[in-house]
Amino acid sequence: MERLIANYVEVCAIMLFGVGFMTLLMHNNMIKKIIGLNIMDTAVFLFFIAKGYISGKQAPIVVGKLEEASAYINPVPTSLMLTGIVVAVSTTALALALTLRLHQKYGTIELDEIIRLREA
Amino acid sequence: MEYIKSFPVFALLIPLMLSFAMPLIKSDRTIKNLALISSASSMALCGLALKYVIEHGAYKYKMGHFEAPLGIEFQVGMFECIMALTFTAVTFLVVMHSSGRIEKEIGSRNIQIYYLLMNIFYASLVGMVFTNDIFNAFVFIEVSTLAACGMVVANSDGRSIVAAIKYLVYSSIGSGLVLMGMAFLYSITGNLNIEFINAEIANAWQEYEKVVLISMALFVFGLGIKAAIFPLHVWMPDAYAYANNTSSALISGIGAKAIIVLLVKVLYSMFGSELVAQSGLLKVFTALGVMGMMMGSVFAIFQSDIKRMLAYSSVAQMGYIFLGLGIGNVLGLAAAMFHVIGHSVTKALLFMSAGRLAEGAGGVSIEKLESVGARRPVSLGLYSVGALSMIGIPILPGFVSKWSLSIASIEAGKGLLLAAIILSSILNCVYYLPVIIKGYFKKSEGAFDGIKFTRREESQIGTLPLVVLAGIVIGVGALSGDIINAFSFEFSKLM
Repeated sequence: MERLIANYVEVCAIMLFGVGFMTLLMHNNMIKKIIGLNIMDTAVFLFFIAKGYISGKQAPIVVGKLEEASAYINPVPTSLMLTGIVVAVSTTALALALTLRLHQKYGTIELDEIIRLREA
Repeated sequence: MEYIKSFPVFALLIPLMLSFAMPLIKSDRTIKNLALISSASSMALCGLALKYVIEHGAYKYKMGHFEAPLGIEFQVGMFECIMALTFTAVTFLVVMHSSGRIEKEIGSRNIQIYYLLMNIFYASLVGMVFTNDIFNAFVFIEVSTLAACGMVVANSDGRSIVAAIKYLVYSSIGSGLVLMGMAFLYSITGNLNIEFINAEIANAWQEYEKVVLISMALFVFGLGIKAAIFPLHVWMPDAYAYANNTSSALISGIGAKAIIVLLVKVLYSMFGSELVAQSGLLKVFTALGVMGMMMGSVFAIFQSDIKRMLAYSSVAQMGYIFLGLGIGNVLGLAAAMFHVIGHSVTKALLFMSAGRLAEGAGGVSIEKLESVGARRPVSLGLYSVGALSMIGIPILPGFVSKWSLSIASIEAGKGLLLAAIILSSILNCVYYLPVIIKGYFKKSEGAFDGIKFTRREESQIGTLPLVVLAGIVIGVGALSGDIINAFSFEFSKLM
């Protein structure tokens, strides 16, 4: 229990990941699926950035004079997650575009209804 | 000769850079030529890099001359070069085959975008094969997934949109898991370079055993979804069956295979063979592999659509690859990687020739393919070469990989696996042979209608890429000894 409270950011991130994962997998509505996808990605970003954070240190942005390396947090996870955000945004964009096309073709964005339509 | 060292980077950069020029060009002819040139040069550069590696040994290429933990590295070895050469060669032939027929498949409106996606797709796979940086590999995985989704929906069919959504959803889950695994790994090693992670894990894994195992499980599960290993294959049949022929040939031929290459690098170069052997992962791979070999073939038998049948056959072939990984000795791994090459060229050949057969018969249903041999004798002949390789007729690569897998399983003392391999081969016969037999020997009325027109079409350049590919299939089989020896030598350093 103590370990869970000490690492509360990571615990939070894993819980969010689970929420996103299940939303992505279980819902038939495309928009809900996309929301789930974004929650899942955000959970990973939170986890990664928490790993790079060192309490009491500054963000690695030089304002005025340059200080020693030990004065800043670890910048690598933050910059990795910038790339991660770009990837998540493009996936979301593609998923939304496909949803739009789906709506044009079938008039609905519920996947189970589409399967029923196709079988009928 | 120093400049040859940067060839693998250019094999990635040329298609990527040319793809950005494509939306600016109006003429379809120019775009097709551009796609052809970029894939040909990519293939040539991979070939030259392979020649250099054979003569001078493996090396690491530093991007922008930054030293390893800070900069990104390319690992250029025999294994990577052979894989990249296979993938780019398959791409080149698929592009060549597509250039005369793509309008029929996707209409003439989206040609620029289609070739753009194709270029990005194989460029990212080349990057995935060479890269030595795990986050870099993640980005390439994502790029290839997005490009592949775009290629699946290119024919604007309602079913292909649903298939692409399924593919995108499963892939997103897979890449989310891979990224999470990376986060766990980064938190204990503080590195993203595969070799540095390996060194850190060797020091610290006993202290953080659970974290390392969780991270390994996340990687395997995430990459397994993308590689379509048996219970996680649900996205694959739809995506392959409803995409246009060129897309299914390319995605099935090289898309899932590059993920396997990455998985081998993650497991053996990054986690290390000792950890893999201790984790019990090999048993899981063997079990899933055997199940995939059986169930994939059984599903394939019941399909009425030839492209769906080929897609389920891919599930079965992935089973062989995972069986090879699961055997856990050097020969098993080398045989699995040889099967990656063999299956890559064969499946591309099968999908393209099946597309031509379906065109000749006027439908993808297997029943319609009766006596199609009269209309499309060459295409059916090429299909037969691929099918015989899948079944495992000597000389062809399918036979060699099954043979090596059998020997590897006997060496490892797992003789029971032989039964699985033989049974699965028989199941392969059950669904591959009827198309050939019905196509050539079944007499049906109306089989010779319109044959005057098709004769002329057959003799065009259309089948040339397929003939070359069939030649490559046979060539891979003939060179199998050298390839397996080279792989065994490479993997014996890792295990």
